[in-house]
Amino acid sequence: MGIATLNPSYDDRNLHERKMPKMKTTRWVLALNALLLSSALHAAEIGTALKADDLKAEPFRDAKTVATLATGDKVDILKKDGGWFQVKSAKGQGWVRMLSIRKGDVRKGGGDASGLLGLASGRAGTGKVVATTGIRGLNEEELKAAKFNEEELKRAESYATSKSAAAKFAAQGQLAARPFDYLPAPK
Amino acid sequence: MRHKTLWILALALFSGSAWAANPFEQELFKAIKQGVQEKVTGKSAVSVEEETAIGRQIAGNLLGAAPLVKDAKLQKYVNNVGRWVADQSERPDLPWHFGVIESNDVNAFAAPGGYIFVTKGLYKLLQSEAELAGVLAHEVGHVIRQHHLKILQQSKLIDLGSQAIAKNVSGGSDRVQNLIGSGAEIVSRSLDKDAEFEADRIAVVLATRAGYDSFGLPAVLQQIGHFAKDDGDVALLFKTHPHPDDRLAKLGAAMDDRFDGVKGKTLEKRLYRIK
Repeated sequence: MGIATLNPSYDDRNLHERKMPKMKTTRWVLALNALLLSSALHAAEIGTALKADDLKAEPFRDAKTVATLATGDKVDILKKDGGWFQVKSAKGQGWVRMLSIRKGDVRKGGGDASGLLGLASGRAGTGKVVATTGIRGLNEEELKAAKFNEEELKRAESYATSKSAAAKFAAQGQLAARPFDYLPAPK
Repeated sequence: MRHKTLWILALALFSGSAWAANPFEQELFKAIKQGVQEKVTGKSAVSVEEETAIGRQIAGNLLGAAPLVKDAKLQKYVNNVGRWVADQSERPDLPWHFGVIESNDVNAFAAPGGYIFVTKGLYKLLQSEAELAGVLAHEVGHVIRQHHLKILQQSKLIDLGSQAIAKNVSGGSDRVQNLIGSGAEIVSRSLDKDAEFEADRIAVVLATRAGYDSFGLPAVLQQIGHFAKDDGDVALLFKTHPHPDDRLAKLGAAMDDRFDGVKGKTLEKRLYRIK
């Protein structure tokens, strides 16, 4: 629809009338650009290879292998498709299994690095209590001291969904149930 | 050879019946049989009524520490997603309940009988309905495999065969409370690491069975892996669970290429956003 109005196949007579829709179109294009830009920024996330894995030309197991990532290789995550990430690395661009990649570049929380990283992200020293909205964190002491709240429990129970209602909800989202075997524990 | 095996079997059967001659031995025999049955079926000897009564008590306590987010549409939505996922498990007939609770912590809790709660802090990290389904499915995994009941049994807090547990179902029950320790402490106890890995494996399968993209939970784990360990929002989660990286690695090994070509819905647009 937006593209059609960009087509300049109209005569001078219509120019005046066309002015408004055209401005609208420009605005749409700007908005679209902003969207694309933000999604591009969002997508350029850093990742690290958790283990050695093949970089594929396409997000399929049988696709051509472009390169092989080694544990610790840094990548830029460009896109996600099912269980695959499209990544850019020093070894080339391609698709790698999502579960072979960890987002971020270092494992936080290990050794001294955590304090510094925590500081950098403004999250250091928050301790147990979260002050931002005045709602307490849930630590062990608080859970231990918690008192039974019948009223709140009844409220929670009032939201329960029946099997048939859940099935209807699933159908609305075009979710179809299908068989799939449980996974054995890896050795 | 064959004869020998038969002989041993016959002998075992005979001695089995002879063994149960007096009441004490009868009880012992029953207990052993039950133990074997548990090993074989994976089912515990706690009845569904008992299981639900214990779960209800824990849920009521947890809500005493952190009430529900006051948003009926949100709570209804989470119940729809959760119930649909739980119905793909072998225990669709449990009285499943789901909820989002007021806490900026990033965590989710399961109590026996099918009481499952996600914190607002975790909910806000979610990007799609498939991710919510993955998180709820992990907790469903704990419930269907009775992981919390098992630690209660191990710590001998549950007196098996006690019939009184299920009696006082409405309102808090002192008796049940005595069984579960203080408040909702039980939900902050660490499960076996293997129980967490098992719940992760169950989660991706249940989400897949429900028609969702299989990689919802892995995506959330990748997100949570970003947090620093000493961040207060994830302190309890990190304390009680293996590191997300380890969970991803284990899950990756278990999933391997089994999900190749399995497409599912992510439903980003249908995810209910908290105002």
